[in-house]
Amino acid sequence: MSQSRVVGAVEIGTSKVTVLLGEIVGDSGLNIIGHSSCFSKGVKKGVITDLKAASDCVHAAIMTAEQNAKTRVDEVFLAQTGSHLRGNFNVGTTNVGSSDSIVRSADIEQAKEDAKRRKLTEERTYIHHIQNPFSIDGQPVENPLSKEGDRLQVGYWSVHGDSQLVSDSLRVIRGIDLDVSDMIISSIASGAVLLEDSEKDNGALVVDIGGGTTDFVLYRKGYIVLTGVVPVGGDHITNDLSIGLRVGRKSAEESKLKNGRAYYKSGDRDQKVWLYGDMTIGDREYPLAAITKIIEARVSEIFDIIKDQLVEADLLVPADIASGVILTGGSSRLEGIDEAARRSLGLEARQSEGPQDVSPELRVPEYSTALGLLHYALTGQEDAQQSAKPVGIWNRLGSILNI
Amino acid sequence: MITRSLLNIEPDSLLSDKTPRADLKIKIIGIGGAGTNAVGAMQLDNSDAVSLAAINTDAQALDSSSIVEKLMIGRSITRGLGAGGEVDIGKAAAESDRNAIAALVGDMDLIVLVVGFGGGTGSAAASIVAEVAGKTNALLLAFVTLPFSFEGSRRQHIAEKGVGELRKLVNGLIPLPNDVLLQEGEEDTSVLNAFAITDRWISRGVNSLCAMLLSTGVINLDLGSLRSVFQSQGGKTIFGTGVASGGDYVKDALDDLMLCPLLHLGDRPAQLDRILVNVIGGADLPITRVNEIVSQVSKRFGSREDIVFGAVLDESRTESLEICVLGKAEMERKAAPVKNPKGADALSPSETMEGLGFESEIAQDELPLLQPVHVSKLKGKKKTVNEDQDEFTFNEVDAQRGYFEKTDRNDYKDEDLDVPTYLRRGIKIKLKV
Repeated sequence: MSQSRVVGAVEIGTSKVTVLLGEIVGDSGLNIIGHSSCFSKGVKKGVITDLKAASDCVHAAIMTAEQNAKTRVDEVFLAQTGSHLRGNFNVGTTNVGSSDSIVRSADIEQAKEDAKRRKLTEERTYIHHIQNPFSIDGQPVENPLSKEGDRLQVGYWSVHGDSQLVSDSLRVIRGIDLDVSDMIISSIASGAVLLEDSEKDNGALVVDIGGGTTDFVLYRKGYIVLTGVVPVGGDHITNDLSIGLRVGRKSAEESKLKNGRAYYKSGDRDQKVWLYGDMTIGDREYPLAAITKIIEARVSEIFDIIKDQLVEADLLVPADIASGVILTGGSSRLEGIDEAARRSLGLEARQSEGPQDVSPELRVPEYSTALGLLHYALTGQEDAQQSAKPVGIWNRLGSILNI
Repeated sequence: MITRSLLNIEPDSLLSDKTPRADLKIKIIGIGGAGTNAVGAMQLDNSDAVSLAAINTDAQALDSSSIVEKLMIGRSITRGLGAGGEVDIGKAAAESDRNAIAALVGDMDLIVLVVGFGGGTGSAAASIVAEVAGKTNALLLAFVTLPFSFEGSRRQHIAEKGVGELRKLVNGLIPLPNDVLLQEGEEDTSVLNAFAITDRWISRGVNSLCAMLLSTGVINLDLGSLRSVFQSQGGKTIFGTGVASGGDYVKDALDDLMLCPLLHLGDRPAQLDRILVNVIGGADLPITRVNEIVSQVSKRFGSREDIVFGAVLDESRTESLEICVLGKAEMERKAAPVKNPKGADALSPSETMEGLGFESEIAQDELPLLQPVHVSKLKGKKKTVNEDQDEFTFNEVDAQRGYFEKTDRNDYKDEDLDVPTYLRRGIKIKLKV
């Protein structure tokens, strides 16, 4: 046991705070020893709007998980989302130094540094530098070391966020004397546990539709080539229904869960549903079409925005996304969401069944991001990005924000 | 400003206005293209007692209007060709004809401005007309339509600015977002018909207002009652109607009122203070059913004592009923702490009204010292009210964002993603089976 550490995977979502505790034994063993989730407060559209309210519920969730597991958390891996997250694709280039034109590790390092050289303004902080394939003299190579050529290039998908908002989320964790070992954006975390390696190689789009945001990650030939956040989620569907059906949020939410479908069918016009269905005063009948039309408009818009971003990056190539769209997040439970994705994106789509190597209760879409955080706690991020050591985060932010 | 001039009036006279009905002078003024059209299309029950007027920069549009009293503004600036969507031109036009505007608004008891925001003339001239009218003794209300999403963010921004300016100058401003009103229409509603739908809403509101002041009611409402409602400070103006005929028209009209899109722009159920509820029914409306209406409406909108109720019987109607709700939602909520015992401190009074989408009113420091209705309630609460005013610096155009009312705009390609997609796309939602 001396070699084990307890990692808390924390996702401060718009509707729920989710905490998973993982015990990492040695280099390879991970046991999930506790979990908890509670309704979020002070979070809208993936961004903390009320630091105190958010802190209170995050702390409660972490402590509940600790009590369940009868242990203390040593370190935290934290998910990041929100529309403040942006990405850039940068290419680093270096001329191979040696006279024999054989690529050495120094050349590789130089190309990598060149790709990451782009400085951000003080308000922005890098969260990930995700490496893409190398190429030598324009030809893609898996591993350039010892290969021959003159010009070595490497691409990076770099994700950065608003320094203040990122540090707010770190502050929440620090508020209970815990350190954040690393932060991972939600889409990448979900993608890590929901996709098999073969699916990453064939190309796949993971779309995590949460309460306040929709996070997506596109894998192409095994690499993460694009991530994005659409600041729209299940809360918007509920709000639309609340306004459209003239009911409070609670009833709107219930109607969404009970009668919601992500697309409209012509038969919906003649099918009647009860608003509450409990014979109480104020209950009324209305056409199912009212619900499905409102939801269809919203859901198709979410997928259309993702489509726009793929098209803009020139990455909507069905042959390169052969494994299709994998839907996760709480709102992916909505009936017909796969069909709606298919219609908008023109790609095969399915609702994720969750990772099969965890207990059934954790296979629900709500846990995929937190499971992904534990995955990275176990494997480290070498495969995906420049490693960000514990102090790294605070150094990066601290120097800017004087914290 | 109207509020200032009221300082000269005794409190009692505000509460029980003794103005004989026949002498009550009401003028409905359409400003700009949309306003002129809406007033021109108005079907009023008391058309003899109400004067209609139009103010515009576009000579041709004025000429073709059926309204008798017309005021062409800014001829020297626009040569009668309209403001071309330019706010600066609209403003200059109105500025250049302040005297003529003063003549038009003089000697009235109630002035209702009808204006469509987003264009050049209405958006800019409305606040100048309101400013001039505010110097008279008249009670000043404004019905303001807000542009459709598909008209683009430029018009949205002009509208937001216009609302911000105008609400400080009138006693009550009723915002009517076109997107919200249009969801009522049939699926194949053309744009032209869409504007006609908006006009009908304004017409209903103005008609109900005039009917309760001018007709002999079963339960009379007078200008004093109206003043008392709009004299209260803070809060937002609300407006909604329900109509029905034939069958169980009382129940249907109540249902229609409960489904009125203007009363459902957000999250929480409406709990309102100080509202006027007026019903217009036929001579066949049984008094027992009037009671039913009173109790239903009270249950929905607040306590009975907060409601000023009026009922008008129109001999020409049978088996039909129109209910109109007009009033203020106060910021201060007595009920809030009870309902939220734990979160009472965190819950600011204005939050309890979150999402209702009602209009914030005259800023605290601009209000007269005279508070004939709510003086006791607000005493010692001034600080709270002030804080709330700060909260209300966001724009009322945000109302249709519901739950997201107080968050930053969620801009994507010239649209605010927090506004329901179906509203932005003009998708019709039929709620009745």
